[in-house]
Amino acid sequence: MTIEFDQRIAEQLTEVTLNSSIQVRCGTSNAFLVTASMVEPLVTEFEMGGVYISASRPAPELIDTLTEIGVPLGSIQFIDCVSSALLGGTESPYTNISYVDSPIMLESILLRTLFHLRQMPTEQNFVVLDSVNALAIYNEERMLAEYLHTFINTFRARDVLTAIVNVPDQTPPSVLSNLDLYCTDLIDRGQVVIS
Amino acid sequence: MFGTPQYTRDRCVTGIHGLDEILRGGVPYGSTVLIGGTCGSGKTTMCIEFLVHGAKMGEACAYFAATEPSVKLLENVRQYSFFDMEMVDKGLINVFDMDVLYSWLGLTKATFDRDDIDALVKAITDIVNTIGVTRLVIDSVTTLCYKVPNDQLIRDFLFTLGKTLATQGCTSFLVAEITSAGAKAHWSSFGVEEAILDGIMVLGDIDRMGHLLRFIQVVKMRGTDHSRAKYAVELTPMGVMLTPMLKWGVGA
Repeated sequence: MTIEFDQRIAEQLTEVTLNSSIQVRCGTSNAFLVTASMVEPLVTEFEMGGVYISASRPAPELIDTLTEIGVPLGSIQFIDCVSSALLGGTESPYTNISYVDSPIMLESILLRTLFHLRQMPTEQNFVVLDSVNALAIYNEERMLAEYLHTFINTFRARDVLTAIVNVPDQTPPSVLSNLDLYCTDLIDRGQVVIS
Repeated sequence: MFGTPQYTRDRCVTGIHGLDEILRGGVPYGSTVLIGGTCGSGKTTMCIEFLVHGAKMGEACAYFAATEPSVKLLENVRQYSFFDMEMVDKGLINVFDMDVLYSWLGLTKATFDRDDIDALVKAITDIVNTIGVTRLVIDSVTTLCYKVPNDQLIRDFLFTLGKTLATQGCTSFLVAEITSAGAKAHWSSFGVEEAILDGIMVLGDIDRMGHLLRFIQVVKMRGTDHSRAKYAVELTPMGVMLTPMLKWGVGA
C-alpha cells in the first residue's frame, strides 16, 4: 500500500516547540492519513520517540497499517484502550503494546503514558492521543474536559510534545472549546475538500 | 498550604512516585503509619517499594510477613523491576515469617495475653536494634491483631510497638486489611489502630462503570502538611505511580 503523506503537516511541525500541545482536527474519512502524516516526520525527521494512545481502533491494526506504509515504529509504544473490550483482542504478537481495560480508565492511561515515557531512550518525545471523540463515547463530558486539561498540562510541564486528535463534529462542544483554549497549536484537516 | 513552616521535621523519603510530593517531602522520621486497604489495592507492593528505596540508600529494612509465607511474597515481588533479590541476599531487606517468630517465642496459643504481647514487641524491637533497622513493615497487623482478644490490648500493643520503634528512629508501615474504603468505613479492621498511630494512608478501589480504579488517600499524617485528596494508583513494573484522581470521576 502506498500513501501520499500530507507534507504541510511536516512543515507545520517544524514550527512547534517540545512543550507544545497540538490540536489535530480531522474528518471521519481522513483521520488515518492525518495521523500518519504527523507521526511519520516526528519519528523519521525529528528522531523522536513517543507514546501513541489508541482509543479509536485496536493498536495491532494500527501497527499493521502504519508498517505497511513505511512508518518506522521502533521508538513508539502503543497504549491500546480498545482491544480489552474484544474477546481475544489482546492476543497479539506485538510487544510494544500495553492494554488498558477500558477507555474510562483515564487516569490509568495517563499513568501508563508517564511510565512509558520514563523508559524511552530518546531525549525528545511525543504523545499522540487518538482520539478525543473516541474517549467521548465512554466518558462524561465534564470529566473528559477535566482530563484533557490535566493531560495537556502534565506533558507540557515535562517538555513532551502532545498531539490531541479529534473529529470536531463528533466531539462535545465544551470539550472542543477547552481544546481550543489549552492547545498551543492547531493542525486543521477537519474539512475534507473533495476536488 | 500556608507557605513554608518555621520548623520542619526530617523526612523519610518513601521513593514512591508522587507520594513524597503528597507528603511534602516524605513521612516524618520515626512515624508509625497505618496502611489500610482493601484486597488487591496495592498495599504490599507499596510497602515493598518503601523498603527497596531505603535499601538503595544503604538503610537496613525489615519486613514481617504475617499473611503469606516469605517465599511466596518474594516470588511475587520479583516481577517488579524495582526489586532486586540481591538486597535480600546482602541483608539490606530482611524478611521474617511471623509464624516462625511465634514458634521461636513459644507463642502457640490461639489468643495472646499481655505477656505474649510484651514478648512479641520485645522480639521485634530486638531485631530492629540488632540489625539497625530504620524502615519496617508488618504485613499485616490485622492478622496479628486477630490473636489479641480485646480492643484495649490491641491499643496497648500498637501504642507500645509504635513508641518503641519511634525511639529507635525506625519509620514503620503497619498494613491493615479493610473490607471497604468508602466514606463510612473504618480506616482499620478493629477501629482502634487509627486513633493511636501517627499516620493513616488508605488504599482502595473506585468502581467506575464496572471497572475498578485503584486509589490512595492520606487521611492523617502527624508532623507534616499533606494533601488529603484521592490519587489514582497504577502498579507498574517500575513501582507504584500516582496521579490526582479526576474530580468528576471520583463519585460518592
